Amino acid sequence: MASSVASFATDIPRTERATRVPWTIWAGVLGVTSASLGGSWDVSWHRSIGRDSFLTPAHLMIYACGVIAALICGYLILYTTFGRSQTLKAESVSVLGFRAPLGAFIAAWGGIAMLTSAPFDNWWHKAYGLDVKIISPPHTLLILGIRCVAVGVLFLILASMNRLEAERVERGLTVDSAATYKTLQALFLYMGGLMVVGQMFFLQEKTWDVVLHTTDAYTALGIGVPISFAIISRVSGNRWACAIAAAIYTVYIISEILIFPLFPASPKLGPVFFQVTHLVPAKFPVLIIVPAIALDLLWQRMKGWKSWQIALVSGVVFMAIIFAVEWPFASFLLSKASENRFFGTTYFDYNSRPNGLDRLRQFLDPASGMHLFMGLVWASVYAAIGTWFGLLFGNWMRGVKR
Amino acid sequence: MKNRLAALLLVVLGMVPMARAHVGSKDVFETVHVGPYTLYVTVRPPNVIPGVATVEVRSIGAAITGLKVTPLPVTGEASKHPPAADVMQLSSADPAFYTGAVWIMAGGTWQVRFDIDGAAGHEQGSVPVVAVPLSVLKMDKGMGTVLALLGLFLVLSMSGIVAASVGEARVMPGADATPKMRQWGRVVTVASLVVMAAAVAGGLHWWNVEAAGYADHVYKATPVHVTLSGNQLELLMEEPKKDIRRGPPPPPNSDKLLLDHGKVMHLYAIRVPEMDVAIHLHPSLVGRGDFREVLPAMPAGHYQLYGDIVHASGFPETLLATLDVPDTMQGGALDADDAKAATAGISVGELGNSFKLPDGYTLVWDKPASMTAGTAYSFTFHLLDASGKPATDMQTYLGMAGHAAFVKTDGTVFAHTHPEGSAAMADVMLANESLGASSGMDMTMPMGPIAPDVSFPYGFPTSGRYRIFIQMKHGPTVETGFFDADPK
Repeated sequence: MASSVASFATDIPRTERATRVPWTIWAGVLGVTSASLGGSWDVSWHRSIGRDSFLTPAHLMIYACGVIAALICGYLILYTTFGRSQTLKAESVSVLGFRAPLGAFIAAWGGIAMLTSAPFDNWWHKAYGLDVKIISPPHTLLILGIRCVAVGVLFLILASMNRLEAERVERGLTVDSAATYKTLQALFLYMGGLMVVGQMFFLQEKTWDVVLHTTDAYTALGIGVPISFAIISRVSGNRWACAIAAAIYTVYIISEILIFPLFPASPKLGPVFFQVTHLVPAKFPVLIIVPAIALDLLWQRMKGWKSWQIALVSGVVFMAIIFAVEWPFASFLLSKASENRFFGTTYFDYNSRPNGLDRLRQFLDPASGMHLFMGLVWASVYAAIGTWFGLLFGNWMRGVKR
Repeated sequence: MKNRLAALLLVVLGMVPMARAHVGSKDVFETVHVGPYTLYVTVRPPNVIPGVATVEVRSIGAAITGLKVTPLPVTGEASKHPPAADVMQLSSADPAFYTGAVWIMAGGTWQVRFDIDGAAGHEQGSVPVVAVPLSVLKMDKGMGTVLALLGLFLVLSMSGIVAASVGEARVMPGADATPKMRQWGRVVTVASLVVMAAAVAGGLHWWNVEAAGYADHVYKATPVHVTLSGNQLELLMEEPKKDIRRGPPPPPNSDKLLLDHGKVMHLYAIRVPEMDVAIHLHPSLVGRGDFREVLPAMPAGHYQLYGDIVHASGFPETLLATLDVPDTMQGGALDADDAKAATAGISVGELGNSFKLPDGYTLVWDKPASMTAGTAYSFTFHLLDASGKPATDMQTYLGMAGHAAFVKTDGTVFAHTHPEGSAAMADVMLANESLGASSGMDMTMPMGPIAPDVSFPYGFPTSGRYRIFIQMKHGPTVETGFFDADPK
């Protein structure tokens, strides 16, 4: 590896090295932001208005992500494969005969998956009816596609970061390069935050406030959250990576609660069980910011520990803390005290039955005793496995340089 | 994909042909009289639920300036919360023809509510619509091939990305991947293909589960068991599915069924395959789902039974059964509200526009010169007395100027309709009740003499040969006329 670095350093003049964040990364970050906001808006649209078409603003924001991915990946793949820049060629990998940075291929794959999901979803509606749930096979392909575009952009950022890091180790960074590194790191953390938003979006049907006294909710959190934290923390190298990512998620959802209900909206289909008058926002964010801070503090003190040891401790700590804060907080969310503009527990879908648990503000199948304990033990195991996998994957990601 | 399609095809082929309130005739054709306005409405519900129903309206009464439409259930909590109404689009070619669409997100008995504006002021009217999943769509070959190719490309390209990610991507620009990395890359590529194959298999399994779950919700008529002891017919209905029963408490003494024209069941017995004998009976309910009727004297043979009922939720159903009548059966007397009649079989040829009745009266149909499936018509019939003049001793038959049954000769379509339209009368009343006292919707039969002319709004759902049974009453006699149609 040392010889590779040396050859790289001598082959390519320093002036040709990027000292700015390339436009492809900015565009990619914009695209993923658009998909994320579009996804939230679309869910709210389905909960408030219900009726949609291909050309709703929310859908356009989601598909803008695919268009942006197509543009930046098309540019990177064509320009790298057929262009003359030896620098770009050197910073690329080969897939199916084409050359481009790894992230471009991943994002392109995501874009094609998104495109594939569109006719599939259309057929699905004709065969089994219009959307009644988020998690269907074509929607999963769409979400996978969006996530891959996000991961692709993440890898574009990461490869630039890792190359600058190698350069720093080799011979130090210029002022410009150091500034670029800082910007890339900030963008990475922002993307990490959106990754957590995406992860919680996927888990929302399992972490609805009325199910937060079931073991399933904690199992879902154990499987979905620590893995994201471990990757973001390990790759970004920031001491407060988890807290920052969780804060982005928390602010994102609270903003939704504060902003969405400002816009009038009423259902355009039936059956209507609740007279919605404004856009219905997401449920209050799960308090993952608390275990995120704990994991940051923990991991700052566990440098030198083996990954499996870190994972084991982290799994238990994550689960103990999220349970300790979310369980009583869920009770608060179901109480009269939370019925205000900030906690947003008075907003319901147009099809919320008056005798449904959501409207009655009652918990679904609350767990207790041994069942609860064993559920949390298993959730801790999943959290530990997730952390372990995230740390390993994060280590591997730090090695990606193209 | 091929296996997946084959599996889906099996699900489709294994299904009972679509059946419901009416059989194979899902579209609703209804005349709405409200204040000075008269709307001739066609609602075409979707085959899948949730889905979009299309609505066509022709205004034939006082001129209207605006028409809005909204869907809501006829009963229950959601019947109190109409969604925002949509403005119907006025045809550029026809100033009295409007089109629109309503989204129906759950199965059950719905109403399409109209907000009508015109010089005579604002009025509301409503048409009941039954929305149930009727079929599972199978994927056509072209779409299947495109999706399979895209899927294959996604799998192959992902394995290429995985190979690059463990090889080239990990070395600094300009350097080559080491032999060890390349070897590792091959191993990971194969592993990724295995993982993706498992993911695809898991996805297909999930798809199968979803498809089977949907197929399970596809509407099938509640099964009914038939026994004939002497001339005593018993129809024993199985417990209906929960989604059909859902609704408000049933009226007394009807055991979770609503009365339709004062009857708990309208039973048509049609001798098949010739369709030469038609009998309209009204069994009584003696216990939960237990209908009894003393059969009148009727020609021996194989009969198809169509029993129209309306559940307490407003959900109308046509129960399907067959009955073999032996030539030894001693029939009882025909009730005053019942009717039976016979004519030539369908194999003899197509019947004409004029049907000679046993008592010398004649029933005449203003038959359109040509008819096409899917088109809404208003079919008009006239009853003439023995001298060929319009009958003057007209009576209502079960509260209506006439009853019609449109039955396809292959047995796939049965629709019992009335001059108001093809919706069950009990549902029309439920929909009207939900409009409240403010509505000017006119649900009562006009008082005074009954005209000898009657029109039935209806459209044939599919092309093919149909036999039409028209019933009108004059004096104490219920007449049954037979007609044939062959829409293209």
